[in-house]
Amino acid sequence: MSETLSVSQALNLAKGSLEKVSATIVGEISEYSDKPGYKAVYFTITDKSAALPCMMWRSVFDKLDLALKQGMLVEVSGFFSVYIAKGRMNFSAQSMRLAGEGDLRLKVAQLARKLEAEGLMSPTRKLPLPAMPTKVAVVTSPRGKAIHDVLRTLRRRFPLAEVQVVGVPVEGDAAPKALIEGIEVAQQAKSDVILLVRGGGSYEDLMPFNDEALARAIVASSIPVVTGIGHEPDNSIADMVSSYRASTPTAAAEHVVPDIRELKMRLANQGKALSAALTNRVERLDNAVVNVRSRALFTDPLFLVGDHLQNLEQSTQRLSIAIPNALRSDVHQVEVLKGRLARIVSTLTSHQQSRLQLLAAQLESLSPLAVLARGYSIAYDDKGYIVDSVYVVEPGDTLDVHVSDGDYHCRVEAKTEKDRMKLDLETDADE
Amino acid sequence: MSETQTTIPSSELNNMTFKQASEELETIVRELESNQLELEESLIRYERGVALLRMLQSRLQDAQQKVSVLLGQIEPESDDSIDTTLS
Repeated sequence: MSETLSVSQALNLAKGSLEKVSATIVGEISEYSDKPGYKAVYFTITDKSAALPCMMWRSVFDKLDLALKQGMLVEVSGFFSVYIAKGRMNFSAQSMRLAGEGDLRLKVAQLARKLEAEGLMSPTRKLPLPAMPTKVAVVTSPRGKAIHDVLRTLRRRFPLAEVQVVGVPVEGDAAPKALIEGIEVAQQAKSDVILLVRGGGSYEDLMPFNDEALARAIVASSIPVVTGIGHEPDNSIADMVSSYRASTPTAAAEHVVPDIRELKMRLANQGKALSAALTNRVERLDNAVVNVRSRALFTDPLFLVGDHLQNLEQSTQRLSIAIPNALRSDVHQVEVLKGRLARIVSTLTSHQQSRLQLLAAQLESLSPLAVLARGYSIAYDDKGYIVDSVYVVEPGDTLDVHVSDGDYHCRVEAKTEKDRMKLDLETDADE
Repeated sequence: MSETQTTIPSSELNNMTFKQASEELETIVRELESNQLELEESLIRYERGVALLRMLQSRLQDAQQKVSVLLGQIEPESDDSIDTTLS
């Protein structure tokens, strides 16, 4: 044992011994060096009171497909070794995987990839959310802040909806099964939308929402599931396969119901739109009536008869011209005829004149005046009748006696009847 | 349409869900705005629209959230959170 060794011999001895010690170690990565061209990657894992330099051959490391970062909790398996050239001990990692939350995250990421490959996260699989749900189911823990955040938000925004609380444990090994049952209860209760929520917690706390069976139950749900799990950066498998992912329970509740203030405003606007539409309708009709009314047919009393009236006026005018024209031609004709007549008359007169003179002479010879000239006279009574009988005037009556050159105004003194009998007979015969 | 047919029985409206009623109201508003209805039809739609509107508004006014618990038992908020609400 007291044999003196060279440095190399000593370190090789140590190396040989150390390399028989294999171990699996969990630690947090505090330093990490991955320089291109180097045959190995170097990192240090620590806990609260110790640090262990580690190396891993690049050929092994690359197969892990791990992006190492400071602070990551990893589990390495391998053996201790010595770097002879520097006399430094290190741990030669043969394999490495993420530990703790890192491990969980990796598993979740792998599950996410698997489910995504199955198409469970496809946007086309996501159910549309009802614009105005009548029943909102809340699947969450019946204790804690989340349920009250949701209730408060729903009450504030949309008190019309009925809230169906499905209280289930959201942490621990039994949580995934309980959550799945909760979704089923909500479906049986004919909810319109399911809020799957829980308040903030550690990554481990939120692990039930990364459960594969729960993910499949969400996808299988006939009712859209809206998630609000943890806080903003948290993203679970449930979030990925849900119909809508909100960042918090409150945000999820806000998303599934309309805001009553907006509804009231919209109703008010719809009321205005109703009145406006009807008023508009009536105004249009009114305008149409006014338009019709203002047409010439209704405003111009002569619209319908105008043309006829014009025709009539033209006829009248033509008539008023026609009559004088006709008259003029008639007058002319009359003049012509008159001339002809005058000529005829004048020839007639001269022809008849001699005959007339002859007749006048004959007439002259027959005139009683001519008889008077021969010494006869005519007696008239006071009434102007010729006295041709002795019975016409009585003594005392006046007579006018015409002779050829004047009259005698006489009074009858006496009268003598001639042959009485003869006169009576004549009178009888007259009767 | 006789007078009696145009008056809408309130039971018919009350049986409608809020969503149904507001969808119908929206349809009526659009129909009226399209200006393609006969005036008589417009008046009938208007009347129904107003009835729906009144019903919806009164429902919003009187809305009291109904909470039913299907599973579990809701625990009141912890004192801490009540305190934060009050402060």
